[in-house]
Amino acid sequence: MSSVAVAGRTGEWLESPGFGVYVHIPFCTHRCHYCDFNTYSGMEDQYEVYVEALVADILRWEGPAPMASSVFFGGGTPTLLPVGSLARILTAVRDRFGCAPDAEITIEANPEGTGEKVFAGLLDAGFNRVSFGVQSLVPSVLTGLGRMHSPATALRAIAAARAAGFDDVNADLIYGSPWESTSDWRVSLEGIVEAEPNHVSAYALTIEEGTPLATLVATGRVPDVDPDLQADRHGTAEELLGAAGLERYEISNWARPGRACRHNVLYWSAGDYAGFGAGAHGHVAGRRSWRRRLPRDFVAGVDAGTSTEAGAEVLDADARCGEAFMLGLRLASGLDLAGMGRRYGAEPLATRMPVVQELTSRGLMEWEGSCLRIAPSATMVAGDICARLL
Amino acid sequence: MDQAHQRAIAVIAHIDHGKSTLSDRLLQLTGTVSDRDMREQYLDRMDLERERGITIKAAAVRMEYAANDGKRYELNLIDTPGHVDFGYEVSRSLAACDGVLLLVDAAQGIEAQTLTNLYLAVDAGLEIIPILNKIDLPAAQPDKYAEELAALIGGNPDEVLRISAKTGEGVPEVLEAIVEKVPAPTGDPHEPLRALVFDSIYDSFRGVIAYLRVVDGRLTSRQQVRFMAAGLDVDADEIGVMSPDAQAVELLDTGEVGYLISGIKDVGLAKVGDTVTVRPGSAATALPGYREPKPMVYAGIYPTEGDDFPLLRDALDKLKLNDAALTYEPESSGALGFGFRCGFLGLLHMEIVRERLEREFGLSLIATAPSVGYEIELTDGVKKVVRNPTDMPDPSQILEIQEPYVSVMIVTPTEFVGTVMQLCQERRGELKEMHYLSTERVEIRYKMPLGEIIFDFFDRLKSLTKGYASLDYEPAGLYGSSLVRVDVLLNQQPVDAFSTIVHRDKAYDYGKTMTERLRKLIPRQLFDVPIQAAIGSRIIARETVKAKRKDVLAKCYGGDVSRKRKLLERQKEGKRRMKQIGSVEVPQSAFIEALRVDVDGSKT
Repeated sequence: MSSVAVAGRTGEWLESPGFGVYVHIPFCTHRCHYCDFNTYSGMEDQYEVYVEALVADILRWEGPAPMASSVFFGGGTPTLLPVGSLARILTAVRDRFGCAPDAEITIEANPEGTGEKVFAGLLDAGFNRVSFGVQSLVPSVLTGLGRMHSPATALRAIAAARAAGFDDVNADLIYGSPWESTSDWRVSLEGIVEAEPNHVSAYALTIEEGTPLATLVATGRVPDVDPDLQADRHGTAEELLGAAGLERYEISNWARPGRACRHNVLYWSAGDYAGFGAGAHGHVAGRRSWRRRLPRDFVAGVDAGTSTEAGAEVLDADARCGEAFMLGLRLASGLDLAGMGRRYGAEPLATRMPVVQELTSRGLMEWEGSCLRIAPSATMVAGDICARLL
Repeated sequence: MDQAHQRAIAVIAHIDHGKSTLSDRLLQLTGTVSDRDMREQYLDRMDLERERGITIKAAAVRMEYAANDGKRYELNLIDTPGHVDFGYEVSRSLAACDGVLLLVDAAQGIEAQTLTNLYLAVDAGLEIIPILNKIDLPAAQPDKYAEELAALIGGNPDEVLRISAKTGEGVPEVLEAIVEKVPAPTGDPHEPLRALVFDSIYDSFRGVIAYLRVVDGRLTSRQQVRFMAAGLDVDADEIGVMSPDAQAVELLDTGEVGYLISGIKDVGLAKVGDTVTVRPGSAATALPGYREPKPMVYAGIYPTEGDDFPLLRDALDKLKLNDAALTYEPESSGALGFGFRCGFLGLLHMEIVRERLEREFGLSLIATAPSVGYEIELTDGVKKVVRNPTDMPDPSQILEIQEPYVSVMIVTPTEFVGTVMQLCQERRGELKEMHYLSTERVEIRYKMPLGEIIFDFFDRLKSLTKGYASLDYEPAGLYGSSLVRVDVLLNQQPVDAFSTIVHRDKAYDYGKTMTERLRKLIPRQLFDVPIQAAIGSRIIARETVKAKRKDVLAKCYGGDVSRKRKLLERQKEGKRRMKQIGSVEVPQSAFIEALRVDVDGSKT
């Protein structure tokens, strides 16, 4: 990788964030009870047809197709697919969109079942960033979360990816689950710091509607999460990751300088992207669309030669601007109102200025030049603040 | 029919002691309603009454009865409201009667409200026929309660009728007793007409229907009549009787009971207790006992949606047509917006009005804590009545405050005497009398501020006595008290809807209760919110709602945007619906919950 700072990788809001391509692989070996992603287990026999459909759908894309500045393979567990299949899909993306020479190409992986050989293959295929679902480095917490891997497996996977030549490695962590103590969280953070990924995402466990965990909580079999405790845990992450040279550039994301995730920065900058695969979302110039959720429906659509799009919404300038606030204020840099004005015009900004004024006067937001951001002390109440600016 | 063969009677009974069932049986036995048309609680026409199991508005029904003496009698059954709030209406209904059926559950014995009404009937000099109902119940103790009744009204336990209105057992004897024991009316047919209005209801098609009893003289159709208290002259467009459906007649003779429709559109002009006479040739004096309805309890009623204020006004205007006792005037609250300060006869009346506003007019309402009317004499000699705590003048300007007292009657099993007395003492009660109805049951009388009754007194009484005690009260005048206004402040900002007037000794308790309640009801904000209770500038209680520390979406990526935006939009919409007190966002539900006074005088 080039050491020159690449747009997006500083983690700052971008007026022109490039163009992203998202590819969804909706398969897991088993479903975690807290997860509300569009993913399915026990569909191994569908992998091949799914890959075929995905490739075909990418190649027949009729929307705008600028050169991709980032590609992201998410899931599910994309690494369940053979490296060859992943390579074929990525080739389709290159064929249809083209990838910038410095494009960031990420793949999500589970710690289990990925060895050095796989990583070498992924590198060969063109992937240059890998993101691991580590979640915790404490066995009892992993058990509580229903994860199959051990802490050692996770650390080995990170090491293997690095050994294979991946510079950009991310580890996802989950904090504030009912199975985790304060010291457990410190153990996870310290262990991750030692493994030296250059990017860490740490998420407060959220009880998502419709998940098995939500039922467990609703029926009193698992205690609900404690928001105050989660705020404390976020503070611990800030402290330990910061001390290790990882800077928080988004509410739940830390990176070494210049190692922010460009693809996600594009999302938070309300940029344009195409999404492929079951349930994948896309956004082009204020039009948000999503594809059929069930893999077999997605495949059937491709086979029938009909669109796999299941729905879309077109946002007006005001809604786009509100959304840009909701997304951009997640970034520690905040968003650049000069750029916002160029994008959406003065009117939607003008209607929000009185709220901004009130929030800044209360110390909840602050200006830096033309950038407006949530005050660091108010990071964990960003939801309340964003709701006012929507 | 001639007066000698007329009888007008009312049933005095506690809720659930079987008044409606007995009425049904009487209607059936006299053939007034055929078995085929019979449905339960025939006379309780209004939905509201049916659902609550209570009778709000009196009705009168005429029955023809062929007695054992071979003669035919005209029996008029006049229904009486069964609750404390309607004591005056009860007294007017009784005034229209010649006798009463005192109906008591043979498993429960007499209750406080029944006692009050019984005393009213005794005072009115009415013949009383004691009846024990529900003798078919396994828990019935007819011997025991017959003694209690006999002791109360004077007489022999053997004279107490024992019936089951449900099965019909003993009901024919009730009809015979009415004819034998209740005296016929003794009005003078040659005097000018004097008819007592004992109920009046508003019908959207016919206007006001006044129920009346002809005491003296006679009322003929299409004659000009005068409502004496109202000073209103109208034509008797239609007169008639209910049997049980309305039947127009040409004449209501001396002693007869019927209705009058005269084009009046507002029950406030045909009030209960008024006297109807003819014109010209009017009676010189009205019948005694008329009283203007006087509200005892006040509360602010506000629409939860500010836009609904005109709807609320229209709804109150309409309700008023049918409810002469309801008063209302516009008021505004910093916390609740625009609404009305309404006056009610009592708590049940308030509940009924509120329920009708919500049910019949589809309104969603918030009511402030109920208040009584305080008479305040200022240092400059001016006197004023304060019905809303926020109108209370500064303590330095007040010479004296007087508050309404009531005479409270509680009937309880003797084992709870101590508990009841403790509760009454806590509520600033003054013990007046104890009267043992039997070895097991006692009637206790207290003089107590009404303001103490309207705060969950009834619920407390019920729970402390395992539901056995019953309560009744009547106005007992105004007395000076050491009262203060307690304000509640959110983030230093007083919230007018929570201000209340309490006795100085109770101020701390009220402040503590309200601040604690609000701490649980007010959602955490972006900053600490102090909740204080204060008398003037002196803080007497304090709680804090700690600032919220986490309110953030853990993740939001490309596939999440639409869904997460909707989540935040919901949050924003929630904020929009909140009331802003200074910078504190307070959900409507917090006002509703904080102002909830768990009193329901209609429950037994």
